[in-house]
Amino acid sequence: MDKNRFLQELRISLAGLPADALEERLSFYSEMIDDRIEDGASEEDAVAATGSVEDVAGQILSEIPISELVKEKVRRERSGRGIWSTVLIILGSPVWLPLLAAVLAVLLSVYVAVLAVVLSIWAVALSLAVSAVLGIAAAALRLIRGQFAQAFVYLGVAAILAGLSMMLYPVCRALTNGVLSLTAKAGLGIRNMIIGREVK
Amino acid sequence: MDIQLKRGLLDVCVLAAIKDEDSYGYRIIKDLKPYMELSESTLYTILKRLESARMLTVRTAEHDGRLRKYYRITDRGLRRIEEFREDWKQMMSVYRFITKEERADG
Repeated sequence: MDKNRFLQELRISLAGLPADALEERLSFYSEMIDDRIEDGASEEDAVAATGSVEDVAGQILSEIPISELVKEKVRRERSGRGIWSTVLIILGSPVWLPLLAAVLAVLLSVYVAVLAVVLSIWAVALSLAVSAVLGIAAAALRLIRGQFAQAFVYLGVAAILAGLSMMLYPVCRALTNGVLSLTAKAGLGIRNMIIGREVK
Repeated sequence: MDIQLKRGLLDVCVLAAIKDEDSYGYRIIKDLKPYMELSESTLYTILKRLESARMLTVRTAEHDGRLRKYYRITDRGLRRIEEFREDWKQMMSVYRFITKEERADG
């Protein structure tokens, strides 16, 4: 491979670099190859000693922090978007801002409603459990007074209530976990949306 | 070798290669060859790092009808070499401490 082809291919491989950094890199390699030739190597050998285009490009890109490559990408896409779309976004804000607010409000209200349902089921389970405890207490009271029949009725009711609350408990837990993981996912989604927008 | 240690070592090696007179990329690699194998991309990164740390300055001069970049060490660069020598002395005494028992055994 001759020098010009090597530099041309390297230029293509390093297209992600900022323009001035790219030119500086290329002139550095160009100088190296020229110096090798001056030192007595043939052009072919001088290029070969530099390494393959893939290796050189790979090493260069691996040494550049990812943040810089992303920044360059952002810069390019911003300049590509042009001023008119920015103007449109600003001029259109009376339309899309209220729409965005409405969508957010609806999402929030749905979330609050779901939370309220979960909370109310918890309340039912809790009240059942409290009633069961009170039922047992009432049964004990009747037992002390010698009212055995009533005591047994209270005990029976208490057992039914306790059973119901125990049945509800796993349901409550599952619902709560579901809502919590949903919240976490939504939070992550929102974060990604914001970061994604910045990167774009 | 530990990456931080190696990075520091490479920096000082390149500074040492331009300490006595200005030099250029290919010559630096050639001068360092007996001591360490340095790829061109690595050298580029080191030179950039040293330049932004103001330990060397770069000038472009014409050579044989083409342009070549020459690197000159600054006072700051010279100080870095001095620091390295001091660090190394300290490191050697630590090294002797670490290998003391081994040597006593041997």
